[in-house]
Parts: sequence; structure tokens; C-alpha cells
Amino acid sequence: MNLSKDAFGAGDHIEVEVLIIGSGAGGSPTAALLAEAGFDVLIVEEGEWYDQGSIKPFSLDQMEKQYRSGGVTVALGRPSIAYTEGRCAGGGTEVNSGLYKRPPHSMLTKWRDGYQIQNLELDDIDAIADEIETDLSVSYVPGESTLASQALARGATNLGWRNGEIPRWMSYPERGDALSGKRQSMTETYLPRAINAGAILSTGVRVERLEMIDATAGAAIVERRDGRAGRISFRHVFVCCGAIHTPALLQRSGIKGNIGKSLAVHPTVKLSAKFSEVINVDNDVPVHQVTEFFPHSSFGGSASQAGLLALALNDNWRAFRGQITDWRRMSVYYAAITSEGRGRVISVPGMRDPVVTYRLTKNDRTLLAISLGRLALAMLAAGAEAVYPSFRGAPVVRRPADVARLEAGFSATKASVMSVHLCSTVPMGEDPRLCGADSFGRVHGTTNVRVNDASLLPSAPGVNPQATVMALVVRNVRRFIEENVHA
Amino acid sequence: MPSRSSASRVTPYADALLARDLPALDPQRRGEAVQFVAIRVADLPAPMKLAVGILAVIFDLGLSLGSRRTYISVSSRLPIPFVSEYPRLIRSLAFAYVWEKWPDTRPDGGRAQVEA
Repeated sequence: MNLSKDAFGAGDHIEVEVLIIGSGAGGSPTAALLAEAGFDVLIVEEGEWYDQGSIKPFSLDQMEKQYRSGGVTVALGRPSIAYTEGRCAGGGTEVNSGLYKRPPHSMLTKWRDGYQIQNLELDDIDAIADEIETDLSVSYVPGESTLASQALARGATNLGWRNGEIPRWMSYPERGDALSGKRQSMTETYLPRAINAGAILSTGVRVERLEMIDATAGAAIVERRDGRAGRISFRHVFVCCGAIHTPALLQRSGIKGNIGKSLAVHPTVKLSAKFSEVINVDNDVPVHQVTEFFPHSSFGGSASQAGLLALALNDNWRAFRGQITDWRRMSVYYAAITSEGRGRVISVPGMRDPVVTYRLTKNDRTLLAISLGRLALAMLAAGAEAVYPSFRGAPVVRRPADVARLEAGFSATKASVMSVHLCSTVPMGEDPRLCGADSFGRVHGTTNVRVNDASLLPSAPGVNPQATVMALVVRNVRRFIEENVHA
Repeated sequence: MPSRSSASRVTPYADALLARDLPALDPQRRGEAVQFVAIRVADLPAPMKLAVGILAVIFDLGLSLGSRRTYISVSSRLPIPFVSEYPRLIRSLAFAYVWEKWPDTRPDGGRAQVEA
């Protein structure tokens, strides 16, 4: 049920106590906790509301409706890195794989010490993670996982590599199976909670810029669905537009500092593995991951409908095209690395969207080659007949000896490198040389502008980041509530 | 609303590229796939749309020079940074569309054999 409404009505000006821009994994928990604490909250979201289950997952229809720019967005570089962002009520939580991984303690400690993040206590984060896991019904699949997922686990196990099932934020019906879960995204959880507590969600509203008077933001200038302009006055603002559009908005608003200069991603390369039996199941995302090489790299499975398989084979189409007829026996897998590289988000005057860049280091390129080779090895160990890596000129890998040829022939510039994990464009902490926001997300140099999303993560965490994002978001907003005792 | 002009610029090259890569794809399906590519290009982020628009003009110029088939063959495999992204973008979008919509399409774009 669509819970959004037009907050403007016939007018063009609104006054609220707290404006939250964005309704994804950052904005929705922020809104729920603030509304429950008695704050007057308005959430604005650029995209529209779609009920969970109303759109086929991982389809082109979903790309068009729930992703920014139809899912075709790129960080320029050599190679350019394709990335995707959700743009709908609930943001990326509506469209991602739903895999949940707690923030690693080693990473939190590294961030706390390296970026001077105050009061980042591991016990507190663990306690918040407990709450989130309950709220999102984080659970393992009932019964057996799908064949594509089992294949990855089997391959890793046969090689003696650490692997395991990653739980997801899904609820399963009684006696359900691996494919019967319902994603517990923001439109199913924190957004209804926020609205029940009095918050208003207004979709189809894009914030162009914040009006700043010295260090204080007083209003947001917006464009509404019908193209009309509007103005929202507020006391406090939380910018939760994700790691690309949060820094872009801050830059458009004239806020300077370490904003948009340190984009971090998990660069990812793919391959298609062909088995002797039917393995491809509609709407499936394998739940197993190989963690043997964490924190340097991890391997997992992707959605693999025929269209996505064609995409994975397309880099070497002339050699691999014959395989597409066997798509039911094939599945796509990925190797994601923890990159040393960094990128930028640059808002260009007169342009609606920012320029995004990313630069892989030499080590990143080497690690991508090694990781793709290891993934191919795991798929052979799982019983794959053949493996088709996604890069121009890639060899078919049929036996372990072929992996050396794969690694030797691999070049990142020939590959379809992509990422769905974007973060670190407004890193949190007290070190002004490194950080765009303070230890609780208030943007340095401002009095009332806060960031509360993946932008705050000081670096890419090496695991699916949504759990880490949400834990930090809840921590930060609780601190805000403590500091702003509501009358 | 996305601009239609940037969309229409990609259609001649996209049509020629698909005609070469998927020669048995019937014209109606090819037209649908090309239209899908055009719509997606129109919805690209502003900086990308600008870059793609420039590349479209350049690639279109090439279509009018000499053998179309040879030109498509060479231009779709150019190892030039950024420039090579253009045919890759078109191919990715079109292939994703064709095989999502008609999953049993043959590798040459032909329709799957219907059993008697």
C-alpha cells in the first residue's frame, strides 16, 4: 500500500522541524526513530513508491522504475565502473540482494582509530545490530538453498576454502523454501514505522539545493513531480541520498570540505559457469559467499536470468554467444575486491547529475585478475563443465590449468567491472584532513546539516554494507535525539 | 522527461550494430530493441548523456563512409578508452532486452525452433 502523500498540496512552501532527504537504508531508520521520539518529520524521496512484490526482481522493468537512470550509471575511469543506485521509496533496500553481514569489528576499530571517530563502541554497534536483525527479520533460507548457491558452496568446500550462507532480510512463510521469501525492505519495515509515528513521506520530490546562511541551512529548494518548484523550511536536515547524491547535493549547496573526494566501492568482475544440469532459477540470488580471502576479496552469485546472462557473455560475444542457448544450465558469479583505489563525485554547475570517477590501483587490477581466477577454480571444483569469464578475449576455462591463461589474459580495461556498493564520500570522524562529517554525521563547518547514509563509512567495508550503514545510522540518530531534547 | 533528441541519435548505429551481431533477429524485434536502447540513453545521467551524444555523432558519421558492415565490425572492437564504451553500452542494453523479452532467442538472433 502506497504510504506516501503530497506534502505540498496546493501550496509551494512547507515548514517542518526535521527534513530527511532520501528514504533508503539511511533515511528510513532516521525517520522512524525521530518520529517515534516526537519530532515533526518530513521525508522527501525523488523516486516513487512501489509495493514489494509488484515488480519482477532484477528485471529491466525494475531497472526502469526503481533504479536511477534505468540502472545505467558509470564512474568514469580506466576502466569505467558501472554502478547502480536505487531511486524509489526505500531506495536500494528495495532492489538489492538482501544479504546481511554485520559490521566486522576489525573494520570498526580501524575506522575508529584511523579517522578519530569518537564513541564508536563495538558493544553498542553489536546491540544495535541485534535490534536491526529483529526489525528486518534477518534469517537463513528455510531448507536447502538453490542449486546455484549450493554449487558455489560445494566448489569452495572442495578446495578447502571458507564459505557460508549469508542471511538475508527476508521473511519466509511457514514451510516456505529458498524462493518464497519476502524482502523486508524499508517499505515493509522502517517507513511504515515512521509514518505510523507521524512522519510524512512525499515521493517525486527532488532537492535541488539547500539554502545556507553562513553555516546554517534554513530551507531546501525542491523540484516536484510535475516540475513545479517548492521550498521546505526546517530546523534540522538529514541528507540520506546515498554515496553519490549526498555529496552532490552538499556541493550544489556550496558546502565545502572533504565532500565527494573519497568515493570507495567494491569493484566486481564476473563469470558465467555452465553445469550439466538445470541450475538457473528465476529471481534467484545465491545466498552463499566464499570468505576465504576476506578482507581482500569475496565471491558470490548474481541474478542470472537469460537477459543478465547475455549481458555477462557479451564482452566476448563472438566466442561465447553459442552458450546462450544453454542459459538454463548456467549461472553468473562474481568476485568483489576491497579496493585501494578511490573516486570522486563532482557536481558540475548547470548539470543535473554529478560526474563520478573512480581510479583502480595497480594492486586492484592484479587482485581482480587473481580473484577471477580463483572464482573460476571454485566453479570447476563445483563441477562446472566450463567457465566463461566476462572480459574481452577471455578464454573458456575447462580445467584448472586454464586458469593461468585467464589470469594472464585478464586486464581490467577489457572487463565489465561493476559495483553495487558505494560509500565513503562524506567520511565520518574528527580528523578534518580525512573527514567530511563529525563522529555522528554532522557536516564539518555546518550547524544543522547531517549526513546519515553510506557516505559516512570511512572506507569500503569488504562485506555487504547495508548492515553497517544501518547500525551507524541508528547510532547517530540516537545521539541526535539525546542532544536535541524535544519539547 | 528525458530528451528525445539524444535518444534518436543512437538509433542508426544501434540498428546497424544489432543487424551485424544478431543477423537473424527479425526487423520488428530489432526495432523494439533499438527503441529500448534509445529510451535508456535518453534517461542517462546528464554527463553521460552528453558524452554519449558526442560519440553518437562521431559513430554515425562513420556509417556513411564506405562499407557499413566493415565499419561496424571495426568500430565495435576499437580498443580506445571511453570510445569503445559506446558500442559496449549499446550491445549490453540491446542484448539484455532481447534475451529478457525472448529468452530462447538463438545466438544469431533467430527465433527458437518451435517443435512440431
